[in-house]
Amino acid sequence: MAIDYSALYPVMVMVVFAAALPAIHAVAKSSRVLAGVSLVGIFVTMALELMYIVSGEYPAAIGGASVELLRLDVFAALFALVFLAVAFYVVLASARYVEKDRHQAEYFSLILLATAGMMVVAMAVDLITLFAGLEVASISSFALTAFRKKDKRGAEAGAKYYVIGGLSSAIALYGISLLYGITGTTNIAGINTVLAGMGSELDIALLLAIGLLIAGFGFKVALVPFHMWAPDVYEGAPDPIAGLLAAGSKKMGMVLLFKVFLVGLIAIKADWQLLAGVLAVLTMTVGNVIAVQQTNIKRMLAYSSVGQAGYMIIALAVATPYAVEGSIFHIITHAFMKGGAFMIVAALAYVALGENIANYKGLAKRAPFLAISMTLLLFALAGIPPLSGFVSKFVLFSAAIDASQIADQNWMFWLAIAAILNSALSLYYYVRVIKYMYVDEGSTKDRIKVPWSMTAAVAICVIATIVIGVWPDPVIDVCEQAARALFAG
Amino acid sequence: MIAIEYFLGLSAILFAIGAMGVLVKKNAIVVLMCIELMLNAANINFVAFSAYYGNLTGQVFALVSIAIAAAEVAVGLAIIMNLYKTRDTIGLDEVSLLRW
Repeated sequence: MAIDYSALYPVMVMVVFAAALPAIHAVAKSSRVLAGVSLVGIFVTMALELMYIVSGEYPAAIGGASVELLRLDVFAALFALVFLAVAFYVVLASARYVEKDRHQAEYFSLILLATAGMMVVAMAVDLITLFAGLEVASISSFALTAFRKKDKRGAEAGAKYYVIGGLSSAIALYGISLLYGITGTTNIAGINTVLAGMGSELDIALLLAIGLLIAGFGFKVALVPFHMWAPDVYEGAPDPIAGLLAAGSKKMGMVLLFKVFLVGLIAIKADWQLLAGVLAVLTMTVGNVIAVQQTNIKRMLAYSSVGQAGYMIIALAVATPYAVEGSIFHIITHAFMKGGAFMIVAALAYVALGENIANYKGLAKRAPFLAISMTLLLFALAGIPPLSGFVSKFVLFSAAIDASQIADQNWMFWLAIAAILNSALSLYYYVRVIKYMYVDEGSTKDRIKVPWSMTAAVAICVIATIVIGVWPDPVIDVCEQAARALFAG
Repeated sequence: MIAIEYFLGLSAILFAIGAMGVLVKKNAIVVLMCIELMLNAANINFVAFSAYYGNLTGQVFALVSIAIAAAEVAVGLAIIMNLYKTRDTIGLDEVSLLRW
C-alpha cells in the first residue's frame, strides 16, 4: 500500500535544506551564504504552509484510518508558520552573529532541524509522533545552546539544559506510558474516547499520569515550579538562540500541553482544570516578581517569559475554544515581541555592549532605531494599546471572564484579575529599561553601528507587533479556526 | 504468564531510583545514567502493557524511544565532555557561573 506523504512535504523541505548546508559550507565558507540558503529554505516552507491556510485544503493525514499519526490541519499550519517566522528572524540575525565562529553550517542546520521538530509536534495526533518531534527539537536545541564550545557560560548552560531537558522527557515519557496502560492506545483522540467511556471515577494511576505529564511538559514551558533552568539557559546560550528558545521551543511546549490536555484528557478536565489555574497564577506572579529584581537584560526577559507563559496557561484552566483562541493569539504576538527583544540584545551584544541593563543608559542617542524598537516591544509585552500584546491579552483575559459566568467556574474570574495585576506589575520593570535608554545619560554618546541583517530581524518583529496590534482581525480569524480544529480532535 | 503487576512494580522502582539519583547525585555522568534508568522504566511499562493488551503500539513506542534515547545520550556526552574541557569538572554543583 502506498502511503501519501504529502502532509510531510514542508518538514521534508526543512530537513533537505538542513542536510544540504554542511555540503554548501564545503564550497562557500561564509556565514552569510549559509544564512541566505537557510532563509530560502524557511521561505519556501512558509510559502507552502501559507498556501494550505489560504486555500483551506489540506493533504490527507499520514497513517491508516485507525492509526493516524500526523495530520496537517489549520492548527498545525498556523503553528508551523509561527515557528518558521521565529526561525526566519533568528537566522537573519545570526548571519553576522556567528561570522567568527567555527561550525557555522551545523549551527544553521540545527536551527532548521529544531524548527522541523517543532512542526512535527504541531502535526502530531499520536503520542509517538508527538514524542519524536519533541525530542528532535530538544536535542537540536541542546546542541545549539552549547554551540560556543570555548564559552564557559555557554558550556554550563548547555549542560544544565541537557540535564533538565532529559529529565523532563523521561518524566513525560513515564506519564505517557501510564496513559497508554490505562487506555490501551496512544492515539490522542482515542485516549479521550476511552476515558470518556470509563466514567468519572478517579483512578490513582490516571492522577499520577496527569501529574507526570504536567511536570514533564511544564519543564519545557518553564512553568513555576519547574522554571529554574530557563534564566540560566537563556543567559548562557548565544543571544539569537535564546530568542529561538523563548519564542520557539516554549511555544512548542504549549502545543504539547494543548494536544495532550485539551484533546487527550478533555473528558476528565474537571480533574486538572483547577491545578492548571493554580499553576497559571503561580507562574505569572513568580515570573513577574523575580523579573523586577534582575539586572541582566537576558535574565529579565527570561523571567518575563516565564510570566507570559503563565498567561498562556490560562487557556488550559479555562478549556474553552475562545480561551484557546486567545492563547494561540498571544503565542503568536509573544513570538514577535519577545523574539524581537532578544534580537535587539543580540545586535547590541554583537557590538560588544554588555548584557547589564545599566549598559543601556543613553541608548536613545547612540542607537535611536534599536531604542525605539525596544520601547515598542516592551510596551507591547506589557500590553499597551494599540500594540499587538494588548489585543491578544484582551482576548485571552476576556475568555477567562466569559467562562466564569458559568456556575462553579467563578474562580476563573480571579485568573483574569491576577493576570491584569501582573501586567501592571510587569510594566514597572519594562519602563525601567526605557527610562535607562531615554532619560539617563550614558558614559559615551558614540553612535552604534549594527549590521543591516540584525536591524532587519528587529524590524520584522516590530512591524509584526504594530500591524497585528492595529489590524488584528485576520489573525484572530485564523486563531479561531485553529482553536476549533484543535477541539474537533 | 507473569502478572502485569510485577512489571509495573519493577518499572516504578526503577523510575524512583532514577528520579532519586537525578536529585541527589552531583556527577553529570551519573545523572545521565539515572535519566536513562527513568527512560527505561517507561520502556518496560510500554512493553508490559503491549503484551497485556495484545497490541503492538507499546512495542513500537519502546523501540522509538530507545532510538531517541541513544541520540540524546550521544549529544549529552558531547556536551558533558565539552563542559569538562572548559571547566575541568563535571560536578553539577561546581558549575555555577549562571546564578541569579
